[in-house]
Amino acid sequence: MHRRDFVRSLIAAVVASKGMVGQQAARQQLPIAAPVPWTLGLNPKTPIPQTVVAEGIAEAKLRFFTAPQMESMKRLCDLLMPAMGGKPGAVEAETPQFLDMLIGESPESRRKIYAGGLDWMEAESQKKYKLPFSKLDDGQATALLKPWLRTWMSDHPPVESHADFVNVAHDDIREATFNSEAWAESLAASTHEGTPTGVYWSAVDPETHGTGPSPKPHVQAAKGAAKMPMYPR
Amino acid sequence: MKSEVFDVLIVGSGHAGGMATKVLTEKGIRCLMLNAGPVADVSRDTARKPAYELPYRGFRPPGRLEHVFQSNEFNANVWVDEQEVPYTFDPAHPYNWVRVRLFGGRSLFWSRQSFRLSDYEFKAKSHDGFGEDWPISHADLAPFYSRVEEIFQVAGALDGPPQMPDGNFVLDDDPWTPSMQRFIAAATPKGMPVCKQRRAMGRDGLASSVNLLLPDAEKTGKLTSIANAVVRKLTVDKNTGLLNGCVFIDRHTLQEMSVKARVVVLAAGTLESTRLLLNSGLANSSGVMGHYLMDQIYGAGLVASVPEARGGKGKGIMGGAAIVPRFRNISTKSEKFLRGYAFNVTSSTGGVGARNFAAFGAELQQKMEEYHGSAFYMGIMGEVLGRRENHVRINPGKVDAWGIPVLHVETKYTDNEYNMAKDAVDAATQVVESAGFEVLSTNAVPNPPGYSIHEVGTCRMGDDPKASVLNKWSQSHDHKNLFVVDGAAFTSAGWQNPTMTILALSMRASEHLAEEMGKLNI
Ligand SMILES: Cc1cc2nc3c(=O)[nH]c(=O)nc-3n(C[C@H](O)[C@H](O)[C@H](O)COP(=O)(O)OP(=O)(O)OC[C@H]3O[C@@H](n4cnc5c(N)ncnc54)[C@H](O)[C@@H]3O)c2cc1C
Repeated sequence: MHRRDFVRSLIAAVVASKGMVGQQAARQQLPIAAPVPWTLGLNPKTPIPQTVVAEGIAEAKLRFFTAPQMESMKRLCDLLMPAMGGKPGAVEAETPQFLDMLIGESPESRRKIYAGGLDWMEAESQKKYKLPFSKLDDGQATALLKPWLRTWMSDHPPVESHADFVNVAHDDIREATFNSEAWAESLAASTHEGTPTGVYWSAVDPETHGTGPSPKPHVQAAKGAAKMPMYPR
Repeated sequence: MKSEVFDVLIVGSGHAGGMATKVLTEKGIRCLMLNAGPVADVSRDTARKPAYELPYRGFRPPGRLEHVFQSNEFNANVWVDEQEVPYTFDPAHPYNWVRVRLFGGRSLFWSRQSFRLSDYEFKAKSHDGFGEDWPISHADLAPFYSRVEEIFQVAGALDGPPQMPDGNFVLDDDPWTPSMQRFIAAATPKGMPVCKQRRAMGRDGLASSVNLLLPDAEKTGKLTSIANAVVRKLTVDKNTGLLNGCVFIDRHTLQEMSVKARVVVLAAGTLESTRLLLNSGLANSSGVMGHYLMDQIYGAGLVASVPEARGGKGKGIMGGAAIVPRFRNISTKSEKFLRGYAFNVTSSTGGVGARNFAAFGAELQQKMEEYHGSAFYMGIMGEVLGRRENHVRINPGKVDAWGIPVLHVETKYTDNEYNMAKDAVDAATQVVESAGFEVLSTNAVPNPPGYSIHEVGTCRMGDDPKASVLNKWSQSHDHKNLFVVDGAAFTSAGWQNPTMTILALSMRASEHLAEEMGKLNI
């Protein structure tokens, strides 16, 4: 490179870099889009949006029961746990829809009890009354089911066919109804059963050091253990 | 740091590991505790919620924890996930393995019933010829039981017959309620002793290693603990044949790591200790390891109602709890089974469950209201015999989330246990009927093995190294610097809940270990 060219290129470089500095300065003068880091706004005083349980609002697509089975299930719920004493019944508590989801997700053995039981109930109804179970009146439905009711102790429901379905379904219907939002809302009326609330354990994972009052062993993470990410990814 | 050799490595942070840690660190011994799971912090990890806010309205989340009958949606996250740490069994003979890997293990959630074993258990073979005697007697363990009872603040009365030795109790001198008096009057002529329940009160209702044991160890400055450290294998010095540490895997990163120690104390909760030893190929010159898995039969019993307490009249009649210690095969001999069972007895002021009435709708509601506050419960805790064929072994074809081969559990109850359950229901029915109570429901079928959460045995102790894994100090016959201080050491199960005995054995073994280390014998 000739000396003159070298000097020219040097001057050009200086001019170019001055220009860049000028641009950066101009950028820095622009107002910052978010002057406070957004995470600071998330603190214990941040309003929490109020939500409701979807069940009470939305229509669930059937997942396990067939449409006729769902009709039978609704009738069964209404018979075994009707609305009483200012308390919602199983139908008002959306228990049939809840059980459709629960049983649909359950292991085969439980699904079999329900599917087989509902089909048996329907067949019995047709045989005895020439009507679908969903159309039976209380007297007819009671006559069909009562002979299969048993007393039993926890973890040992009856194992004999039909009695297994009737008693397990009765138990599930009751529990699902007591544990429903509709039941919770009706608590004002007198009853021995309140709404079950409990201490819910979230997953204790990954482990972080808490600050609560309970005695905690002092533990160190194994070297190389993953650092807890600040926000779930 | 990496070259640091600890005096003692302790695997597990529950009752067994917590007690070993307390005793050893208080004697100035430097301990490293490894625990497979994280630390639970109630203020961070729990919240009070109504069931309807949970996806399954409080029902056990389907497909998860199928063998943890005690679980529900509220507590589903505290138990070991069966997919994460699976185990296998013949589907015809299921096993309920109920595990907690949080720091503190099952001591965070136990029901705190606290009994000593008696010489009817320690010397069971001498009494009826079955199985093996323990190499220790109640007299050997009594001083340790007393100290454990002090730490755990066990409440009870000094009313035990020889088969349920009394202890160092916070005395319960509450009078029996009239319903319990009626029960006692009916039970006594039938040879059933009725005693006050015995329960650890701990502190603030918690009787856990995290509040009663580990804080003392931490105070000494001699304890280092690592959470989320899943021990995969114990390591051995090839020259001496002695254990020298372990390999563990970080639960989150799957990073494999190793640590060194002069002594290893296993307290991983019976079957996990045995699994670790089997996976390490150690301490089994006898071939007995994994065998003689035992527990207690649960689930059989009855629900009754005290007629005078119905219709809202239960106040002043109902309330109180009792234990009927084993009464069969003490001074008489049953034709149908060896050993015996106890009853947990409760006179309740609460509701009577709907399952106790063959009714529904308005009729059921009316019954439940009428019977409210009149329920009387009797439930069995029956001894399961130690049989060689009831065992665990490694299933080389299946691994857990950290690539560690899992256990296969092969165990089933026999006629001895089934006959015992039937006898219990008959005996319970007779006594409540003669007390004038109405029986509402009964069940004579035991829950699956494991359900009691009292699994013991599989590394039993004994004097003969050919017929046992551990000696009377819970020390391996094969490696003198290996101790197993949890329920794996049990030679027989007894009817009693095992935790007081686990704690006393761990305390005794740890004091012996400290003494031997002091003398440079280990
Ligand atoms: C609901 C419930 C009620 C109970 N009620 C009673 C009762 O009334 N009376 C009674 O006597 N007993 C009762 N028990 C049983 C009692 O809890 C146990 O006997 C006792 O807690 C066992 O203590 P442990 O230290 O041997 O085992 P655990 O408490 O199981 O502790 C073992 C520890 O080892 C750790 N671990 C396991 N594997 C590994 C590994 N590979 N690497 C590192 N760490 C590992 C685990 O993380 C765990 O924390 C009950 C249990 C439960 C769950």
